Amino acid sequence: EDAAEESNVSAELIAHRKRLVDEWNAWRRRCKDDLAEERKKKGTEVDGEPGPQEETKEEIE
Amino acid sequence: MRPILLQGHERSLTQIKYNKEGDLLFSASKDIGINVWFTHNGERLGTYDGHNGTVWTIDVDSQSKFLVSGSADNCMKLWNVATGKCLYTWEFPTAVKRVAFNEDDDQIVCITEQRMGYQSAVRVFDINREGEGTSQSKEPAYMFNPVGSKATVCAFAFMNDLILTGHESGKIALFDMKTGDEVLNNERAHMDTVTDLQLSPDGTYFITSSKDKTARLHDTKTLAVLKTYPTETPLNSAAIAPKRPYVLLGGGQEAMSVTTTSARQGKFETRFWHKVFEEEVGRVKGHFGPINTIAVHPGGTSYSSGGEDGFVRVHHFDESYWKVKPYGDMEIED
Repeated sequence: EDAAEESNVSAELIAHRKRLVDEWNAWRRRCKDDLAEERKKKGTEVDGEPGPQEETKEEIE
Repeated sequence: MRPILLQGHERSLTQIKYNKEGDLLFSASKDIGINVWFTHNGERLGTYDGHNGTVWTIDVDSQSKFLVSGSADNCMKLWNVATGKCLYTWEFPTAVKRVAFNEDDDQIVCITEQRMGYQSAVRVFDINREGEGTSQSKEPAYMFNPVGSKATVCAFAFMNDLILTGHESGKIALFDMKTGDEVLNNERAHMDTVTDLQLSPDGTYFITSSKDKTARLHDTKTLAVLKTYPTETPLNSAAIAPKRPYVLLGGGQEAMSVTTTSARQGKFETRFWHKVFEEEVGRVKGHFGPINTIAVHPGGTSYSSGGEDGFVRVHHFDESYWKVKPYGDMEIED
């Protein structure tokens, strides 16, 4: 069923969707970098435990 | 995908929330009760009794230790999830419309309503997690009054010290919780009241629903609109499905503005949209009134909807949901 539907979809639409996915994935990667950066700034480990220097870091900002 | 019907509320649902593991679902309603249910079989585990008015909002921490609730009785309450005991009550001059925990479970943000000479306020409380949880500070750590349109929904942003808000005017904004400054806004995020705001699993983007009949996906950092999901009905709730590229939207016209009854029964639908392609992929019928609140299991294995009809419907996704690849084989990052 899905395969049948897919074959009816124009090449143009497939290319359009591919572009949307590529854009989305590239943006998601940037977000993940931002998030890692923000957590480092916060002095928070990736799995959520507050780091020891959290308070001093906050004052510097 | 046969839903499990949770029957226990006598009036319309206001907000539902899964815990982090997804084994529990919390539900709040206008009948002043809060319930907690096992999601696998729909059995009611317990209740949280103590509010004297509509419970507008709830949130549960990531350890399933504390539940927070906000009510039309002007109180915000902290509960022990396991025992149902109320641990602490904060009182305000007006109703509490929205509450949310932060990622570390040590702060709560809440919105109180604008009424009778009181401005709408956003408050952040530090939560003392030591011991039983009964010893909390009465005063907020931070408080501010958003100028202009009042805030309707809020959440902690992943960026340090920033609170994300949605407003009656359709605006979304970022506030510095320490100074109360609006550091960024998008005035035209929606054309009407923002009714729900739910974060992506990592918090870097979020979805909003609005009375303007659309739901939108936004970048948390820039507040830019990434995607728009237009419908033909005012929306009350929107959720992001983890692990699959879908968003779920719910709403519907109020019963009063609908001319017929029986013919429309059970016709209120949860709409599934492709998150990236902005195309509707399916609808799930069921409720006898507008859908007020939608939540998705954190593992993406089920979703639940709470309706104006007083029912919560838990839908466990079947195998085809995971297998089907609408629009081909492309790998889409969560």
